[in-house]
Amino acid sequence: MSEIDATRPAEPPGASGQPDAEAITTEERGQFKTVVVRFLRHRLAMISLFVFLLILAFAFLGPLVWPYDHTIQRDVPASISPTWEHPFGTTSAGNDVFAQVMRGTQQSLKVAFTVAAIATTIGAIYGAVAGYFGGRVDDILMRIVDVILVIPLLVLVAAIAGATRGGTSWYTIALIIGFFGWTSLSRLVRSVVLSLREQEFVEAARAMGASDIRIIFAHLLPNTAGVIIVAATLLIATTILAEAGLSFLGLGIQAPDTSLGLLIENARSAPFTRPWLFYPPGFFIIAIALTVNFIGDGLRDALDPRQTLVRR
Amino acid sequence: MLVYIVRRILIAIPVLFAASLFVFLMADTTGDPLLELQLAQPPVSEEVIAAEAERLYLDRSVPERYWLWVTGIGGNGDIGLLQGEWGPSVRSASYDIGAEIGSRLWVTLRLVTASLFLSIGFGILTGVISALRQYSKLDYGLTFIGFTLLAMPSFWVAALLREAGVWINQQRDGPNIFWTISASSPDTRNFSNWELFTDAAGHLILPTLALFLAGYAALSRYQRASMLEVMNSDYVRLAKAKGLRHGTVVRRHALRTALIPVTTLSLLLIAGTIDGAVLVETVFQWQGLGTFLVESIQRRDSYAVMGFLMLSGILVIIANLIADILYGVLDPRIRYE
Amino acid sequence: MRLRNRFIRTTALASAAALVLTACGDNGADEEGPDATVEDTETDDPAEDEEAAQPGFDTCEDDPNNCNAGPVEQGGEIAFIVDQSPDSWFSYSLEGGSVYTLQALHGIYPWTGQYEPDQETYAYNMDFLAAEPELLSEGDGDEPFTYQFEIRDEAEWDDGTPITARDFEVSWKMATSEEQGHCVGCSPRATQGYDEIESIEGDDDGKTVTVTLQEGESDPEWFALFSAHSIGGGVMPAHIAEEQGFDIDDPEQLGEYFQYLNETMPEFSGGPLMIAEGDLDNQIIKEPNPNWYGEEVPLDTIILRYITDEDAFVPALSNNEVQGGSPAAFNSDVLQGLEQLPNVDVNIQPGPSWSHLDVNTENEQLADVELRRAIFTAIDVDDIGQRTYGESFPDWTRRLNHIFGEDSEFFEDFITPSDQGSGDVDQAMQILEDAGYEMDGDTLTLDGEQVGPFRLRGGDTEAVNIATQLIQSYLGDIGVEVNLEVTDDLGETLSTQDFDLMVFGWSGSPFFVSSPAQFWQSESGSNFGGYANDEVDELVGQIPQQASLDEAADLANEATELVVDDAYVLPLLETPVYLFVTESYANVRDNAATSLRGHYNIQEWGLAAQE
Repeated sequence: MSEIDATRPAEPPGASGQPDAEAITTEERGQFKTVVVRFLRHRLAMISLFVFLLILAFAFLGPLVWPYDHTIQRDVPASISPTWEHPFGTTSAGNDVFAQVMRGTQQSLKVAFTVAAIATTIGAIYGAVAGYFGGRVDDILMRIVDVILVIPLLVLVAAIAGATRGGTSWYTIALIIGFFGWTSLSRLVRSVVLSLREQEFVEAARAMGASDIRIIFAHLLPNTAGVIIVAATLLIATTILAEAGLSFLGLGIQAPDTSLGLLIENARSAPFTRPWLFYPPGFFIIAIALTVNFIGDGLRDALDPRQTLVRR
Repeated sequence: MLVYIVRRILIAIPVLFAASLFVFLMADTTGDPLLELQLAQPPVSEEVIAAEAERLYLDRSVPERYWLWVTGIGGNGDIGLLQGEWGPSVRSASYDIGAEIGSRLWVTLRLVTASLFLSIGFGILTGVISALRQYSKLDYGLTFIGFTLLAMPSFWVAALLREAGVWINQQRDGPNIFWTISASSPDTRNFSNWELFTDAAGHLILPTLALFLAGYAALSRYQRASMLEVMNSDYVRLAKAKGLRHGTVVRRHALRTALIPVTTLSLLLIAGTIDGAVLVETVFQWQGLGTFLVESIQRRDSYAVMGFLMLSGILVIIANLIADILYGVLDPRIRYE
Repeated sequence: MRLRNRFIRTTALASAAALVLTACGDNGADEEGPDATVEDTETDDPAEDEEAAQPGFDTCEDDPNNCNAGPVEQGGEIAFIVDQSPDSWFSYSLEGGSVYTLQALHGIYPWTGQYEPDQETYAYNMDFLAAEPELLSEGDGDEPFTYQFEIRDEAEWDDGTPITARDFEVSWKMATSEEQGHCVGCSPRATQGYDEIESIEGDDDGKTVTVTLQEGESDPEWFALFSAHSIGGGVMPAHIAEEQGFDIDDPEQLGEYFQYLNETMPEFSGGPLMIAEGDLDNQIIKEPNPNWYGEEVPLDTIILRYITDEDAFVPALSNNEVQGGSPAAFNSDVLQGLEQLPNVDVNIQPGPSWSHLDVNTENEQLADVELRRAIFTAIDVDDIGQRTYGESFPDWTRRLNHIFGEDSEFFEDFITPSDQGSGDVDQAMQILEDAGYEMDGDTLTLDGEQVGPFRLRGGDTEAVNIATQLIQSYLGDIGVEVNLEVTDDLGETLSTQDFDLMVFGWSGSPFFVSSPAQFWQSESGSNFGGYANDEVDELVGQIPQQASLDEAADLANEATELVVDDAYVLPLLETPVYLFVTESYANVRDNAATSLRGHYNIQEWGLAAQE
């Protein structure tokens, strides 16, 4: 299975699907606290969060202090192996690889965060609308999701990215992936909303004359926050890998800008000749996907009221 | 049972049609197949380009073209999915997309099915073991492997596997056991059937392994969670309390139930495997559907891209159908009426 | 990676087309030109080189025509990488007009001759021809331009049908445009040189072929008709048309025959090899033609494997799934990987294409020739070369003439004296100051207005990316802001003139006569920057009218000098190409003079004889 969907199914079935809605609404603060406590106790997730924050700092703050940027610098010596000055060496054209990896990580993360934001927004609203209205509306909306889901995501995105030519930038890629990446999240949200809408607090809101929009946004969506947060987290990992796959096919971000996927792709024939070009970007991809998955796992456990407070 | 199956198929048909519209719009509106011609040096005459536009039905409006693509009515006999024609290719008038897809389908199916079965088999096995030995060293080990595999780009894994295969070949004398390019040896003219089989199998090893790993990781994680949930459920506890043997409980009750949610994974698993096949085929230079897609995108061959998307849609729907039926078999709550 | 090859694809296509274009110009004649450097293929025969075996590619630089030569064993097999699959079985057609089709079909069609790797020696195929072709009339006065080929009596197709003037005739007619009335439904990718032919007639049972041009037409490159460089890479068969029931004298049916050839894998052969099995996706298997009338072909089986992913080359080679290749694209990491393999010989040399920076002269600011000169002067081409190829190919070369490579006898360096590409910022600033430009802080201005920013574009290849980033930096030194924009559609970007500055490649060949007009004539479709200079227009128009290649070359150089002075196109680097093959094979060597590259002498490849 490819990176696109790789992380989604890792979700335990039903575990996050049906949080006890009433508990959440009535004991919101208490619940939040419990969640935080649970998450803090999840050792692996905590370590991952720490590492992930380090990577974030590296990607977004690093370029501010590092003397080189990712482009070719005429004062950077060509093709040297790692030194203190250039910890990951330089390319034959005179790029500082350390700066490239910094920039690549930043661009890949930007894509990932944007996709998570787009997909979460579309998916959550879409799923909530379908679940809330049910019946015909639900049928039609979910059939549309079925249709999009039927076409493998990377393949679909590749076909579209292949047609958008001319200086593909990080946000083009993010828009394309985000635009089609929301479908499974919408299913998830729908299933939660389906069970929530029969709950008393929704009935009560309705009785008080709240509009449908208000019920969806003020009552239903906040109660699916747990599911959404977990899914969005996992989506970040998915996107990092999808972006890499696109770059591998030559459909991703284009030079002179860079991304982790592009760096790997450019160095793919160099594992033996110039390992310092090959391994760092790969390491960063794995580190991001791994930590994000662990964080997602931790969040899920923390948000799942049925989980006992066990350490793992 | 039959009614249930028929009903599932009937539901699949409108999805298929909607998918065809979706696929058409995605591929048709996002590329100009004539660009390659217009950029040819020395320049190609207007008439040639106009003739090409006509051949590719680009002189028709979008709805007309969609109608043509699905039904073929009003076309030149080379278009119309319902007639089994996939449309003209920009490559040349004689290039038959359908024939190409047909011959490549077997190459890709070989890879996809082999790795799917491996993923499912190993995924369920290790998922269950992991769950039964929760928090054991084995569980931690498998979990760690699973998470790591999930975090690795599959083409990266494929490239590493390829290097490993070459290295192993070099360590031993005699003929290769691993091959790094293509789905079979180039010159198979004097091969017996057995040789053909072993040759194809040998070429299959590395790509299958590469494709299998990611699917396996996802599935085993899922199976573990599902199994854990069942093992913690009231009825399994009850069964245990009743004094049934552990093995019996696991086999008769827990496993069966734990498999049910896994069948719902099928859609994602098959779609993901197709995605992965595109990357893996590229690494191992298989002339399958994956590389067909990449080439078609490269050449802006919109009918070919549509064809591929449509075919993968069909594959996913079929796989989903099979899973649905399995679901029905596994879940006693579903009655077939 | 794959899509990035688009750019390469385009150059590959352009290269094949340009070769055809230039292979048969319209005018002028020359008797000594080709003959002076002509040599028979015979002298190249491995048998004669037995004493002077030169295994490996070490001697390629000094003796490009004979390196890796040596005695070979009879028998054996080779799998050779071709880095893209062909699109059709017929290189006359648009889709077949790539180097990959020509490579796939080389050895099937008899060819009249080709340039040797030294790019100067034109070798007639004396297995096929009984004598060197002869110019009968230069087309003076009433006499039309006429020349003659003489085919060996032994030359026949694999089924025993003699190869005759009839085959020449059908090969010519299929390459003509519809207006000529020879063919309806042929869509040859280039008609230049063929449309000018009046008739092709045979005598002596068709073994003497007389080609007559239309009145007033001439062709200085006439000797290369149906050479390996031509539109089809050789002579097409006429008898297959009859077998298939096409009457080639009927224009409609000839058109159908054209389509037939385009769609059908040739199972016939009039050359040393024939295709035993193959397809357009995976591989082509070539075997010796049993009815071949020349020197015996050493290898039993030659497999061309299409491997489009460069990163697969090294593993496949170390796993012995392939034994060699001469890919069109350059990749320094692949090259380094190959060099680390034991038992593999790698040759790297300047290839047929070269990169250059073009200016859109229709940009209001760039219309000023002084600004263009300053921009070109500020660019340090040596630095670009060093950073692009320095590591993998220290002997990389700068391109210093638009028409002739350094190896050409007509080469003259106009770039160095002009100081363009020198990276001399002070001089560039001086030019600008003299022309009235001023620096406002770090920004160059003219009459208070900022110069630029300009859009610098290029295809998405590593070499172009390096060049554009560096150019951006050099121009920063003279206060000109440049924004980089990648293009995936080189041709579209060029033909719509959607650039201010542009880096891309041309593919050259020893045939040059029509190139200057193609590049610089104000009406030319390939004059992408909209360059217009009446003097140049007139000069390049005269080039094909010349009586000899020498005179044509003089005019071409004259035009080049004017273009350099106008700072329209700055030639950058000659793109290197590489060929690799395991040590067990002899006679495999690169030939940058032709699209065929390593395939050019495929019939001589063999397993090196053990001593």
